[in-house]
Amino acid sequence: MTEKNRTGLGETSTFAGYHPAVNFIFFVFAIGITMFSMDPAFLALTLAASWTWSYILSGSKGLKFNLLMTIPVVILMAVINTLFTHNGATVLFYLFGNRITLESFIYGLAGAVMLSSVIVWFSCFNVIMTSDKFIYLFGKAAPVLALTLSMIFRFIPLLKSRYTEISMGQRCMGRHTEKSFLEKVRQTVKEVSILISWSLEASIETSDSMEARGYGLKGRTSFHLFKFTDRDKKLLIFMTILGLLTAAGCIMGLTTINYYPTIVLGTWNLMRILTLAAYGILLFTPAVIGILGEKKWQALQSEI
Amino acid sequence: MASIAIRNLTFTYPLAESPALRDVNLDVEQSEFIVICGKSGCGKSTLLRQLKKNLIPYGDKEGSVLYGGVEIAELPDRLSTTDIGFVQQNPDNQLVTDKVWHELAFGLESLGMDNQTIRRKVAEMASFFDMQTWFRKSVSELSGGQKQLLNLASVMVMQPKVLILDEPTSQLDPIAAEEFLKTVYKINRDLGTTVIISEHRLEDLIPMADRVVVMDQGRIIAGDSPWKIGDFLAGNSAGERHPMFYGLPSVMKIFSACGGSKMQKGLHRTSDGKRIAPLTIRDGRLWLEAVLEDSAKSASLDPVRMPEEEILPGDAIIEIKDLWHQYDRTSPQVLRGLNLKVKPGELFCLMGGNGAGKSTTLKAVAGLIKPQRGSITVDGLKVCKENTGKLMGHVMAMVPQNPQALFTEITVEEELAEALYDRKLPPEEVAARVENMLETMEISHLRKSHPYDLSGGEQQRLALGKILLLEPKILLLDEPTKGLDPFFKITLAGIFKKLKEQGVTLFMVSHDVEFCAEYGDRCAMFFDGDVVSAGPARPFFAGNSFYTTTANRIVRQWNENLVTWEEVAAWAEQNTIR
Repeated sequence: MTEKNRTGLGETSTFAGYHPAVNFIFFVFAIGITMFSMDPAFLALTLAASWTWSYILSGSKGLKFNLLMTIPVVILMAVINTLFTHNGATVLFYLFGNRITLESFIYGLAGAVMLSSVIVWFSCFNVIMTSDKFIYLFGKAAPVLALTLSMIFRFIPLLKSRYTEISMGQRCMGRHTEKSFLEKVRQTVKEVSILISWSLEASIETSDSMEARGYGLKGRTSFHLFKFTDRDKKLLIFMTILGLLTAAGCIMGLTTINYYPTIVLGTWNLMRILTLAAYGILLFTPAVIGILGEKKWQALQSEI
Repeated sequence: MASIAIRNLTFTYPLAESPALRDVNLDVEQSEFIVICGKSGCGKSTLLRQLKKNLIPYGDKEGSVLYGGVEIAELPDRLSTTDIGFVQQNPDNQLVTDKVWHELAFGLESLGMDNQTIRRKVAEMASFFDMQTWFRKSVSELSGGQKQLLNLASVMVMQPKVLILDEPTSQLDPIAAEEFLKTVYKINRDLGTTVIISEHRLEDLIPMADRVVVMDQGRIIAGDSPWKIGDFLAGNSAGERHPMFYGLPSVMKIFSACGGSKMQKGLHRTSDGKRIAPLTIRDGRLWLEAVLEDSAKSASLDPVRMPEEEILPGDAIIEIKDLWHQYDRTSPQVLRGLNLKVKPGELFCLMGGNGAGKSTTLKAVAGLIKPQRGSITVDGLKVCKENTGKLMGHVMAMVPQNPQALFTEITVEEELAEALYDRKLPPEEVAARVENMLETMEISHLRKSHPYDLSGGEQQRLALGKILLLEPKILLLDEPTKGLDPFFKITLAGIFKKLKEQGVTLFMVSHDVEFCAEYGDRCAMFFDGDVVSAGPARPFFAGNSFYTTTANRIVRQWNENLVTWEEVAAWAEQNTIR
């Protein structure tokens, strides 16, 4: 259990098991709406939801990483906006003859919270949207794109392992003990050039193997292992309704907020509460699904 | 009707002086299992490539290659894709996609099948090849053997009628190779697929074959059932042996040396009463059981004993003391308190299964990894960061498994000269040394070729030559016989012998039992992170019951001291009833 607290559920979380389209739609709503709303209530929701889910997915290790990534962003944005934007009615003090206002500080802080939430959402995106899901979704648009992506994901580790081998081979000859900077550069250039000629040579065989298996025939399809089940359909409809509700609310201006010259919050009415509720439920859905999935798993285990 | 018919095929590469294939005629029946063998560069690959439409090389072609009566070059693309499958040498280079399941589906995607059909076919193939446990893995996580099996499976998923394999196991270790060949055999027997395979490793393959075809300089010089091919390759005397004779299974070599099929006694009979030569260890034992003199069988022998190891402390050129290593904090220990000594001027062979830690030992000696505990002394110097500059490239050098890792130049000549570029020698001196090395490695005729245009065996030789130009006192070798034809193995042994005479110490890691038994001075068996037994080659193999040469396994019930096939052949010849 302690190990799980450290590293989180990762790819084993229940939400990751849903169809890639469901995963993707969630991120489109979550990140999309986060990016365009500066309403404090919205920001609070997205901040809380993103960090909660990130903790569930990546554990304390992920938490540490997120803190390291976002704290500098928050400080930087708040400070920069405060120092360089002089709009706003409430003057706090004067610095080198410039007005430092409360409004610009708060605006900077809100922007920082928005940006850091987006960063955390993307860290979740990274865990959930594995390469094959990505390939599948984009392959829907164009099979060639899917294959290209797949080949790139194949090529990266291959190049890495080849480079290690080359570097070792060069060490076998007593190279790599160079002292001067110029010699080091020369050795690196040599190794990269070996890597390139080796890979080009190897790619001839790869293209042979592709052609031998019919690449280039008309009507290529794109295979995948994903199944769209009832559970996916239900969640997709649920999330779409919530997402559209929120988006409609935003478009109707229910969440518009003015920071300058003075901060004017939106008025509280039923529609605004409804929009906020829809957004909150939407954002916490994957986290809740993850926790429920884990509880169910433990319950099933204890029955054995 | 023959499924493939080759008629008077002559083929010349552009700009080549002589044809790569000369007047080749071959008929392949449906569901036949054909093995094609021959020295490196004899035209095997060129011939096989003529059988697959998109792989046919450019050049002048005369004669015809027919599949089901149609010229292969004129087959419809779709038919050529589905009916003829082709597996190449290198496991890595043939893989296209990042996931195992996607690789399996690749061909079916090309054919435009829908998701449901692909799913079913892929499932069937994965079950046939027993790939369920690694079905969802990334291809970069697989071992070499698994990669090659995946290449085979992703061709088989299209259900080809003919399967062509061009030296498919040359990059694999013997255990993975054996498993791969067994799978090919299963495909032939269970699915009825016609198999045409070219290979150097005949020990496992010949008993599976319906027909063995021998090629030499672009010609087919023999094509017969496996039990007859031994006679042909053996010629009439030891001097007349064809180079490929040395690649035959030990049983067949011993049988041929004892007179071949002139002997009638003790032979296994086929269902139609023909007597056939032994191909497997079992057949070989039964045959010897029948023909050996009783005196030879019951002679009480003193087994050669492993001498007490007596290497004085100052005597060893490489000394490994209590070495421990693990790659990761969470991964298991690869080396567990390893102790090892290598004497100057010997060929030391470190043998053992996969993942036992043999290569790790070699890397540790070369200073490429830093072990957690223990010490290594090479030629009086401790292997550590400060000394690597003095040791690597001067006192010792290592030949990597993949020769490509060394190649930077555009001709063989320049490639060799590159080894000396930081030695500050006058150009005439460099030229002279390069010239010398070209001759030693027997690659003078290739001096202007591009290193990548050489065959696998030639590339190995070039890499070895490049390393030897550094004039190391100690040469470290990682699987030097991998992918070499049996004939060049003999040449390689000659090169090793010359080096030893010059006082060079050779430390090699290998799976090749036959090579180590024949040419190694001392051998050691590696298991579970430590050496479990070590000693001079003969008592070492005589003392092992399973991990020993095939020849020894055949006769060890009567005489366990005979290790190489030549010894067994000489002994059997003396002791058979005429």
